[in-house]
Amino acid sequence: MGAQVSTVEKPWTLQTPEHVLASRDLVGNDFSLCYQCGLCTGSCRTAYAMKYTPRQIMNLLQLGREDEAVASGSGLLCTACYSCMFRCPRGVAVTDLMGAIQRLSLHQKHADPHIQRFYRAFMRTVERHGRFHEAEFLVRYYAVNPLRLRSEFRLGLMLLTKGKVVLKAPKVKSQKGIAAMFRKAAEIEGRP
Amino acid sequence: MKYVYYPGCSASGTSKEAEESLQAAMKALGVEWTELEDWNCCGAAVAIGTSYLLSIALPARNLALAERAESDLVTGCSRCFMNLIRAAHYTRKNARVREEVNELLAETGVQYSGKGRLRHLLDVIINDVGLDVVAERVTRPLDGLRVAPYYGCCQGMWTYAQFDSVEDPHCFDQLLATLGAEVVDYPLKTACCGGTLSMSRRSVGANLIGDLLAAAGDADCIVTACPLCLFNLNSFQGEAGRIKGTHFNIPVLFLTQVMGMAFGLPKKALGLQRNAVPVDGLYEKIAAGAAVSSAAAGASRPR
Repeated sequence: MGAQVSTVEKPWTLQTPEHVLASRDLVGNDFSLCYQCGLCTGSCRTAYAMKYTPRQIMNLLQLGREDEAVASGSGLLCTACYSCMFRCPRGVAVTDLMGAIQRLSLHQKHADPHIQRFYRAFMRTVERHGRFHEAEFLVRYYAVNPLRLRSEFRLGLMLLTKGKVVLKAPKVKSQKGIAAMFRKAAEIEGRP
Repeated sequence: MKYVYYPGCSASGTSKEAEESLQAAMKALGVEWTELEDWNCCGAAVAIGTSYLLSIALPARNLALAERAESDLVTGCSRCFMNLIRAAHYTRKNARVREEVNELLAETGVQYSGKGRLRHLLDVIINDVGLDVVAERVTRPLDGLRVAPYYGCCQGMWTYAQFDSVEDPHCFDQLLATLGAEVVDYPLKTACCGGTLSMSRRSVGANLIGDLLAAAGDADCIVTACPLCLFNLNSFQGEAGRIKGTHFNIPVLFLTQVMGMAFGLPKKALGLQRNAVPVDGLYEKIAAGAAVSSAAAGASRPR
């Protein structure tokens, strides 16, 4: 009855790979164990839209061509659903590696500015309020390019008429502490 | 059983109907809980794209708060559940992650030791409350309603590993059958809806949503166990239809909304007026289904 946290039994071992790219604190095997079976790509619902599929990205990493993987922006299509990682017969932390590629693509500005803004706007509202704040997010997301809002007219109207837009900012008592967590994370991870 | 409840941001805003119906249905089942005090965003699928450490520390803060409250942490959002359980797993397995996460958590005055228990709403309903209790509460069975349960990806991979089959979960089917619905099986029940791609890259997100709607298209409605999936499957049927060269108009409901319908709770308490695709037609289908089954019962009654 009930479930203890983490009954997930997988060969994800404890590693801190020296490789810069691999998430510094990977929980799982790194890409060197990948034998290119393609189960990750087969499990990936967005692989069809990627320049390099998850399997190809694991291969690029093995070949030391991570720059190509990062520049392709393919990691930005990862929805972090963990299907690939959960199924990988080699226990490779595929999703977390895709996450690392995604972060590098964003930090090195290989992503469409619109997508960059999406991530920034989302996380900024969490940093400011402790929780996601839709109304502020929409302002931040669309402020630079209000023309895009036109295509969102129907969505916005639906959200408004169905009473789904909360204008008031969420209140979290530890908001200052959460903002401090963001600063600390940037400091530890060496981000600007 | 003592619970603290974690609503998550999605259920607090764009998927209010999930939250409203969840509170109403759980009250009807006699489940008592308090909201996790001072909870924060779990980072959705966005934090992982900006910071590895935050993608673990943000959900870990909620685990730490629940640990302090000495209660099981329950959430009705699969995305949140996945982030929370990932955080629990990683902080437990990797000493360096644990150390750095706690260094971050110290900024808000809490620490996470990895002890707290995390529960998914479906787990609580099925394993704590029990389907027999759910069945007792049903006053308006969903007769003749063909329902497609959408398990979602996050659930399959981490969530159902806790209490059901990972690749072919059935707990949702059991719950819906208990409510009297006819369960529709379809191939993509554990496939991803695209999560935040519906906002960051609409063409891809809507295509994924279209695949799901088409696969479950045979059903009268789709029922999800995630407020984020609920928002996606409801809000982008127009775009999905344009991509797939068809027209979608499938009601999508949160699991506690259909529970509340079967419990005979008022529509407003279940937030049924908020679903982007109107759900009123479902009541007519249930009434028609009830008429058929009572006629059948009448016909078979011994004279």
